[in-house]
This record gives sequence, C-alpha cells and structure tokens, in this order.
Amino acid sequence: MSTTLPLNDHTRTHSAQTRRYGFFPGCVAKESCKELFNSTMLLAEKLNIELIELTAASCCGASVVNDVNRDIARVLNARTYAQAEALGLDDVITICSTCTGHMRAANKELLESEERMDHANAILGKFGAKYQGNVTVRHLLWLLIDDIGLDTLRSMVVRPLNGLKVAPFYGCHIIRPESVNGWESARKPHSLEDLITAIGGEPVDYAGKTRCCGFHIQLEKDNVAADMVGQNMRMAADHGAEAVLTPCPLCHLALDGYQADSADRWGRTDLPTFHLPQLVAFALGVPADRLGLNKHLIDPRDVLVARELVS
Amino acid sequence: MAKITLDIFRFDEAVDDVPHRDKVVVDVPETMTVLDALETAKAEVDGSISFRRSCRSAICGSCSMNIGGVTGLACKTPCNTVMDEDFVVKVDPMPNFQPMKDLVVHMDPFWDKYARLKPYLQPKDEDSAHATERRVSPDDMKKLVDVANCVMCATCYALCPVVSVDPAFAGPAAIAYAYRFIEDVRDGQRKERIAQISEDYLWLCAHCYACSYCPKHVDPNDRIIDVKRAAIKDRVMMDERGPRHALVVTKWIKKVGMLHETELIAGTIGRFNVRGLLKVAPLGLRMAYKGKLPPVFLKPIPKVDEVRTIFDALEVPVS
Repeated sequence: MSTTLPLNDHTRTHSAQTRRYGFFPGCVAKESCKELFNSTMLLAEKLNIELIELTAASCCGASVVNDVNRDIARVLNARTYAQAEALGLDDVITICSTCTGHMRAANKELLESEERMDHANAILGKFGAKYQGNVTVRHLLWLLIDDIGLDTLRSMVVRPLNGLKVAPFYGCHIIRPESVNGWESARKPHSLEDLITAIGGEPVDYAGKTRCCGFHIQLEKDNVAADMVGQNMRMAADHGAEAVLTPCPLCHLALDGYQADSADRWGRTDLPTFHLPQLVAFALGVPADRLGLNKHLIDPRDVLVARELVS
Repeated sequence: MAKITLDIFRFDEAVDDVPHRDKVVVDVPETMTVLDALETAKAEVDGSISFRRSCRSAICGSCSMNIGGVTGLACKTPCNTVMDEDFVVKVDPMPNFQPMKDLVVHMDPFWDKYARLKPYLQPKDEDSAHATERRVSPDDMKKLVDVANCVMCATCYALCPVVSVDPAFAGPAAIAYAYRFIEDVRDGQRKERIAQISEDYLWLCAHCYACSYCPKHVDPNDRIIDVKRAAIKDRVMMDERGPRHALVVTKWIKKVGMLHETELIAGTIGRFNVRGLLKVAPLGLRMAYKGKLPPVFLKPIPKVDEVRTIFDALEVPVS
C-alpha cells in the first residue's frame, strides 16, 4: 500500500532498512495503558526490530490543543521530529491512533509550506533545534504490514488463534481524514482483518468498525460517550464477535471501560478488547501472563480459555 | 453496458408499518452515477421509487443518501465505485433521519438546527438606511468561501456518530455555518452566536472526522475547531466543561510536557464538583482494582523548558 501524499511515505526510510525505528509511545501508553507499552516492546523483541523511544518528546497535542491555538501542535511535533532526526531515525512509529493522525497532520502542514516550516524552525532555533523535514510518521499496524509483511507474520505464528472471532475496531484517527492518513481506504479499510486472519483468527465484519468510540467526549457528556461504545459493541456482538482488536489506547479505554455503563440501553456485550500488539505478540508466542491482560476491566483471558488457547 | 442491480430500501410512512427492499435491474454503463441509475429504474421499471433530486451536478444538495453503507451525493457517485462483485448497489435513506418515503427523509431536525443560527447577517450598527456599503477585505472573505460552498446536503449530519446517539447536538453543518457568521466582519452578533452554538453542544463534537467525507470539501471538522478557538479567544462560556478541558490539557502539557490524565479529569469536571466526581468514581474504582489508574504525579519530560519556550513564543493561553 502506498500514498502520493507529501508525507515522505513513498520512500523506504533508512530506519526501515536498518530495522531501527524512532518510537513515540504517546502519553496514555505511559499512564493508564502501560500494558500497551509493555506488549509493544515484547512484540518488537519477537520481530527483531529496535524501537528507540523518543524519551524527550512531548504530547502530540491529543487533538485537543488545536482548540486553543492554531500553531501549537505543529511546533510541538516539529520539536519531536527534530529529536528523531538528531538520533538518525527518520521513521517514527506510534501505537495510538490519535497520535498517528495528529502527528501526521502536523507533518503535512510543515512539509507542504515553507512558511510554516520556517516559522516552526524559528522557534526551535531558540533552543538550537531544527527539523529538516525527513521524518515519516507511521502506526505500528502499518509497520507490521509494510515492513514485516503478512506472509512473514503468518510464518512466525506459533499459537494461531484457533478461529477466535475478532471484531476489528479502527476508530477514527488512524484512517480519517483520508488527506492526512491515506495509507488505506478510510471507508473500506481491511488491514486489521488481514492481520487477524494472518494470526489465525476470524475477522468479524460490522458497520461499527470505523465509527467513533466517543473517547474525546467522555468528560463532556459521559452518557453520550457510553452510548457510542454501546452502539458499536452491540453491532459487533450481534455479528458474533468474541473479542475486539484496536490499534488505539483511547479506543481501548472507551471500549473496555464504558461497555458496563451502556449495558442498560444497549444490552450487555462484555466484549474483551485487545490492544493490537497484545494479540499479535500472543500469537507469536509471548506468554499470556506477560501481556498485562489482567489490567483490562473486561478480562480477555476468559475467551482465550474458552478457545483453548490458554489453560 | 452492465446489468446493475439496485437494492433499494422501500417504505411509505402513509401505508407501511415496516420497510422492505426491492431489487431493480437496470442495463446501464457501469460508470453511470447512482442517481442516473435510479432515474433509469424509475423511468423504465417502477415509477413509484421515490428520491429527492434536482441539479444532477452536486450543486443543489438534494440527493444525499446511503450508498453501499456510505452516505454521499448519488449524483457524484459512479456505480462502479460502490457496487459489489455481483454488480449490486445498495441504496438506503440517510441515517440519523426519519424515513418518509423510500429514499426521502424528514429533513426537519436538520433545518431546525440551521434556523436556530439566525442564518443572516446582523450588522453592528443601526444603519437601516444602508447609507454606506459594508466592505470586506479579500483576506477576510477567504475565510468564508469554503463554508459558502456548503449545499446543505446533510451528508455530514447523517454521518455524525454524536447525532446518532444525541439528537440535541447541533451537528457539523450548523456549526460550520455558525463559523461563517462568527467570522464575518460585517456581523455584529459574534459573542451571541458563539454562546448560542456552545449551548447547542459545540463542545460535544467527538473529533471523529466523519464529516471530512463532505462531498463539497467544506470540512466541517476544521470549522468546528475554528469556532472552539473563537469561543476561547472571546472567553464565551468558559465555565463549561469543553473549554475547561481544552485549557487544562494545554496547561499540563506546558507544565510537564505530557497529557496528565489524572489532572485533566479533575480539572475538566472541577476539583470541587463533588457530584461530578462521584459520577466518575465507579469507573475510577474499577480501574484502581485492576491497577490501571494513571499516576497522580508526573515527572516532567527531559528538556521540558523547550516545550515552555514554544508555548511562550506562540502566546498560548493556558487558563
């Protein structure tokens, strides 16, 4: 899959060639979803790739700071890209859809306009940094499919999922807007389905897979956010899903945390939600007890037991 | 030419209790638009098939409908981009609306939200004689032209997941149109307009970008952010959760370089809002039980001074 966007996506990065990537875990994987961070590192070890964390990077802006100032997210992310370049890493890998979408949007704004790039660099110059414009931002999901490859992944599977019915949940910021992401069709994406199939699961098709989890309005009106979770999980359950797979920790917090709160209106669903690297790492042989599955509010170990994947 | 099957939602609220579907086969070029295929079906097979249409050129905004699961203008959608391997094109009325007859829906909630904007210029002065012209610079006008392209097809409203669960939400088109008046230099009701759209749940937008599928590239998603910025700039309804949330996120990024999950929950709900905090307590307790609570104290990231330099250079408000 490729794109014609001015986002450096068309070139195979030096990082991809050397299997050394800049790693931007994002805030939530360092705070309430540490199991995502840990399982990502375990998966990287299995894949024999090096994820080098950009430890001095700031928050990407979380799709919220734009509400306050037009330029802040762009310049904050330019600082992150400058740090990646200084470490010789031109490929920055994210594990959060909101980070992916907003960091790519910032990169697009910088790469499309000399004026905006100069503006950002004038500020970075105050502390001796400069962004040269060589960074590509990609999600771990894209790395798995483009750099590792589905065939290779399939060949590495030691614990196939035994036909586990998994509902992919793309959510929003990894596919929309298409002008920013564009790695696959936002209307008919299939990367998660391909991945689920490759590791021995059976993907479940349902209309909710590209809809919003409501995370960003949980604090604005929690019942509306819970309804958005309930609506989507109802659809997944009605199509036979036993579990959900998401590339985004914000979606994870919403789906894992709010199904209970929407049960009175949408019926109980109780679908366990896996972080992307958890399920892939599990299939590749990482022991279940190292993946932080016990941290989920809806325990995913029950479906693994039911499918005789763990005892 | 190809035999294309239109799988059409059929319903007449005057006589039907439940909808049914009809499959109509038309022999047309694959590249024909869905609207022209529907016109062919109506002319040659079944004259009772109902749908709205007028211009056939994506200017009038009448023919928005759900095509193969995606809402958009039928006149702008070629059959071969939406049909399945058996040459079937599924057409349904727009979601988030009450069906009236076949693909025609009741548009009233959409128009009501538009009418609430008072969608006409209300000048600052009382110059009822219109003695002088009101001039707009090209730069000021440039801000408005994107929204002026809106044809009110309601595609964005039909796609909006917030509208689907809370019909009180103004929806993308109304907020984009509010922006068109808020940013018009000739208008004198800027603050009142920002307050009105805030009351109609401006801050309930879930940042999902479903409205980025706008067939006229109005991109309501970006205009919604513009209106939120206007609200913060003019300090309208700053005690509401929306603006408080945006500012507390921003404040803590400046302080520690990261999103501070614990602080932003307390800061958005209000540290002394006991009832609000009690409402999130059950989820908090469930998370605590699983050892999943975010840290209460966060160490600033290395070189956090650089982050603060950026905030200061851009004069970003944090309260």
